[in-house]
Amino acid sequence: MSRVHAPRGLAELLALRADLPGAALMAGGTDLVPRSRARGGLPEDVILLQDVPELHGITSGKGLLRIGAAATHAALLADPRVGRGLPVLARALACLASPAIRNMGSIGGNICTASPAGDTLPPLHVLEARVELAGREGVRELSLAEFILGPGRTALGPGEVLCAVLVPRPEGFSLQHFEKVGLRGAMAIAVVSLAAMLRLDGRGRVAEARLAWGSAGPAVVRCPAAEAALLGRRPTLSALRAAARHARAAVRPIDDLRASAAYRREVAGNLLLRLADLSSR
Amino acid sequence: MPQEFSQIDRRHPRNDALPKALGLERFAADHYPEGLLWAGARRAGIPHARIRTVDVSAAAALPGVVRVLTRADVAGSNLQGIVHKDQPVLAGDKVRHCGDAVALVLAVDRETLARALSLVRLDLEPLPGVFDPAQALKKGAPLVHEGRRGGNVLVRASIRTGRGAAVLRECPVVVRGTFSTPMQAHAFIETENGTARLLPDGTLEMTVSTQAPFRDRFEIAQALGLDPMRIRVVAPYLGGGFGGKDGATVQCLLALAALHAGGRPVKMWWEREESMLAGYKRHAARLTYALGADRDGTLRALSCRIVMDSGAYAHLGGEVMALGMESAGGPYRIPHADIRGLCVYTNNPVAGAFRGFGAAQTAFAAERMMDRLAEKLGMDPLELRLRNALRRGDRNAAGVTMTASTGMAACLEALRAHPAYAAREAWKRAAPPHARRGAGVAAACIGVGYGRGLPDAATARIELTETGTFRIFNAVPDMGQGNASAFALIAAEALGQSPASFELVQPDTACCLPSGSSSAGRTTYTYGNALVRACGALRDRLLVRGAMALLADDTADLTLAPGAVRHVKSGRAVPLALLARMMILEDRTATAEFVMPVTPDATGGKGFVIGFPHLLFAYAAVLALSEVDELTGAVRVRRFVSATDGGRVLNPQGFEQQVAGALIQGMGWALSEDVLTREGRILNPDLSTYLVPTAADAPEVDCLAVDSVEETGPFGMKGIGEVNLNAALPSIGAAVQDACGARLDAAPLTPEKVLGARPRRARRTP
Amino acid sequence: MTIRFLLNGREVACESAPDRRAVDLLREEFGLTGVKEGCGGGECGACAVLVDGSARLSCLMLAAQLAGRSVVTVEGLGTAEAPHPLQTAFAEHGAVQCGYCAPGMLMAAADLLARDPSPDREAIAGAVSGTLCRCGGYGKIVEAVERAAEAMRPGPVRKALRKKRGGA
Repeated sequence: MSRVHAPRGLAELLALRADLPGAALMAGGTDLVPRSRARGGLPEDVILLQDVPELHGITSGKGLLRIGAAATHAALLADPRVGRGLPVLARALACLASPAIRNMGSIGGNICTASPAGDTLPPLHVLEARVELAGREGVRELSLAEFILGPGRTALGPGEVLCAVLVPRPEGFSLQHFEKVGLRGAMAIAVVSLAAMLRLDGRGRVAEARLAWGSAGPAVVRCPAAEAALLGRRPTLSALRAAARHARAAVRPIDDLRASAAYRREVAGNLLLRLADLSSR
Repeated sequence: MPQEFSQIDRRHPRNDALPKALGLERFAADHYPEGLLWAGARRAGIPHARIRTVDVSAAAALPGVVRVLTRADVAGSNLQGIVHKDQPVLAGDKVRHCGDAVALVLAVDRETLARALSLVRLDLEPLPGVFDPAQALKKGAPLVHEGRRGGNVLVRASIRTGRGAAVLRECPVVVRGTFSTPMQAHAFIETENGTARLLPDGTLEMTVSTQAPFRDRFEIAQALGLDPMRIRVVAPYLGGGFGGKDGATVQCLLALAALHAGGRPVKMWWEREESMLAGYKRHAARLTYALGADRDGTLRALSCRIVMDSGAYAHLGGEVMALGMESAGGPYRIPHADIRGLCVYTNNPVAGAFRGFGAAQTAFAAERMMDRLAEKLGMDPLELRLRNALRRGDRNAAGVTMTASTGMAACLEALRAHPAYAAREAWKRAAPPHARRGAGVAAACIGVGYGRGLPDAATARIELTETGTFRIFNAVPDMGQGNASAFALIAAEALGQSPASFELVQPDTACCLPSGSSSAGRTTYTYGNALVRACGALRDRLLVRGAMALLADDTADLTLAPGAVRHVKSGRAVPLALLARMMILEDRTATAEFVMPVTPDATGGKGFVIGFPHLLFAYAAVLALSEVDELTGAVRVRRFVSATDGGRVLNPQGFEQQVAGALIQGMGWALSEDVLTREGRILNPDLSTYLVPTAADAPEVDCLAVDSVEETGPFGMKGIGEVNLNAALPSIGAAVQDACGARLDAAPLTPEKVLGARPRRARRTP
Repeated sequence: MTIRFLLNGREVACESAPDRRAVDLLREEFGLTGVKEGCGGGECGACAVLVDGSARLSCLMLAAQLAGRSVVTVEGLGTAEAPHPLQTAFAEHGAVQCGYCAPGMLMAAADLLARDPSPDREAIAGAVSGTLCRCGGYGKIVEAVERAAEAMRPGPVRKALRKKRGGA
């Protein structure tokens, strides 16, 4: 039998975390519970995050949105600052798992699980989000690339808790897109996914491009060469094809049950071409 | 003049719908008898091995463990199986697939059970295995079952009609192809489960999620050395079955556990992963075809080789293959055929019955061959099918003359007349960017009933209750297809009563009469026919008793009106509630039997045990409208239009449920469902990796019923549950090819395969 | 530990291990077997219940998480005497086949209608897309939710909408 702890505030949570280094943190449990089931049971200690108010709210700061790590996907979707303000993230949240999972699972959980297929990760990468970690020694901030080290591995220190995700408000990115290739219409794990943000100048030319792929490597793949290939050009099929070639060279996918590495590589490039349809609308 | 009905062919909500929507209907899994023990099986985990020892000491010593049982505790034959008894309840000397049960644990709760199962120590000596039929058929291949004359061949069968495949040489046009279809999991949401208890008088009482409670008794009795008449099996509504709960799942293990539980009730409920591991599957198949025709498209000859993977045990492998072979030529006239089948043992998961039952596999090959032929002849695929469609009096490729209702042509004509068919080219042209749209047509048929070799019989029982309502003793489980509600409708029509005056008892071997399994498209047909007869007998009896009460000379002027027996001329009536009080139970009860007629045709079939051939067939023609994403290869079916001949429709709502449900289950098999194995081990053992369609995948479905009456059926119906499943895969395959040129002969049509199979010309487009 | 919560509108308390699965607690302690289990891993949606009004999967929740919450199961949505409009619509419009998914579907639909009283078919399909119906009855399920939404909307709006549909 596991012991279940339900701290009522951040200080209590950090104290527990320090006392019980082996304890699992549980926000929605949508990853922890199935994973534990496969392993024959929950860890000896489970710390619930549901009653830690500091981990929940969404607040607007100067130029950024501070999202509590235990905020659920549904809560984010329902918040117009995400739903309307961060369409690239909202699109990913809207196709993440299923509605009930979105009512339970949290953005912090999606980050800490550090799955190459985590649906919020490519959008958070292109949004250049940072994570705020709290420990008894204080608070530190890391970029997502610094935080996620590989599949299932993060830089979360012993005694630390992921408190919040800090998302700079994107200015002028008129084209934001997220697409997940799954093997069915819902409850699908990403075979490959793309998050894209394009800032266009007055003449419709790309002034800044941010592109990130999920399920295309051990962690989210950014591809500066592909981004550069779009600069100064309208997002036409031919420009996107050139970027796609760079993308295919940059991704490091694997073969698994869902698809081969070769398919993922090809489609990672193909997904860019969808941007032509969106920009021509 | 068309027959007038008061209930039939009208839309009725099902009797079970509201109780299920209220959460009040209790499925087998919802039973938690007081003081229950939990039973669970330790599974082998490796696909082929000699059992050296099964050490249960540590497990048995765990506090909370009541018993740990092994092969030595089984008193009977220890063998399960519907036709061939080859599957041990608990494996004793060797294991033949990863899901074989080697020990059975009884514990006070689930946590203790799980812990104890992990403490059972298995010493298994791995043996080389065979993991596909080709490997299993090689000379010197490891034997799954030693000492059999056929080696790894479970059944070898053939059908030869006319002058056989030699006629292919005379055909001006011949097309050839090799096809494969994957193993499919039933994935019913209620996994295999039941409860059991040994009563002080020695009766073993069981409540099981099962499709065949009457057969279960005999299977359990034989395997465990018990008296079948001391076993009572109750089958509540099932949370899905689709064939996967036909045959022993938990039954024998659960009964064995109950025998050793000291009279306490025992519950066994397989987890999802265990259901995937130990449950039955649709046979993976490989099909090699050659089809010959004249230049005008008239079919002349068929050659067909079918190899099915039975997995470690027989289940209904031979019978599944028989039905597949019988439908191998599709719903067409083909005078000359040579159809051969092999069903082969391997160390893979066990294959068994699954909606579509062999005919689903052959329909894919046969229909895609028809498309290929149409392409080669430059003919319209629907017109080619119509030209060759079986009509009454024709003989199919298996040599059976269609003497019963044969609505294949009517289905194709209905499809052709549907607005979506005419509008398909316009729909295709309106494809959004980076999408290609295509339309595909498929026709399918499937035999109704068990086929020859055993009687397809049912015995209905109906009772006028003491309060003047009616009680039907349904004896064939309702796994969701709605047969129980159909029985209420049939009886309401037969007795001229309101459907609300019928109460349904679900199958219980203690009070219902043997009526076979819920399967083979025969459930409503066979029991429904028996019920019509029973209703007739009851009505006659009620009229006689009514004549007495109304002081009428005879029954000629009497009629059974809703709730009363009425004297037509005088208008006097005696309420059924009053009549019932004057009758003892035996008098208020009527039973009647029905045995399905069989085809008299002696055909060129060889090697079949049972299940070949059939007299009655259901037919369907399906249009699939599909969209292929050029960037990802993903296929979305946007719409199905289906025209079905299942005889007369009893309840349009139930008809639509079955047609759309079969198409969506078939769509899953076509697009994403595939039980993947490596050396006999399942790689996708749960619902996050084994992907069944969701609401977000479901297309619009138009369900048309052609005007058809099967004279031998209850109010003219035959069966509708399966046939549409068989048309889903080929129609989608055709639509995908039409959309983007990708011709895929190996299902499922995954995005990766579709993207890779597009012709070079099409690939340049993105 | 003692867990107190509101269950189908009634205050309840029970002794339970804190890490016991909520689905087991509801089915075995409270006899609410309308809460179904189909996978134990959050992939089938059959075990959904409303927790503080939003649909959650009871196979992924621990008993301790229910403390202080309001939990509604399918049995609390409506009763045989007074079924919820969703339950009536499911029964009337053929949304129930084997019916094992129905409770989970109903919870997902109830969650949707609480947020959006007039969803279109796509929104309904999306809302129930986490509940697997192996009988493939999605079309009728979506239709039933549409009908229930109509029945639940106040009168004049309902009439206006019907008119709109008839004219379209």
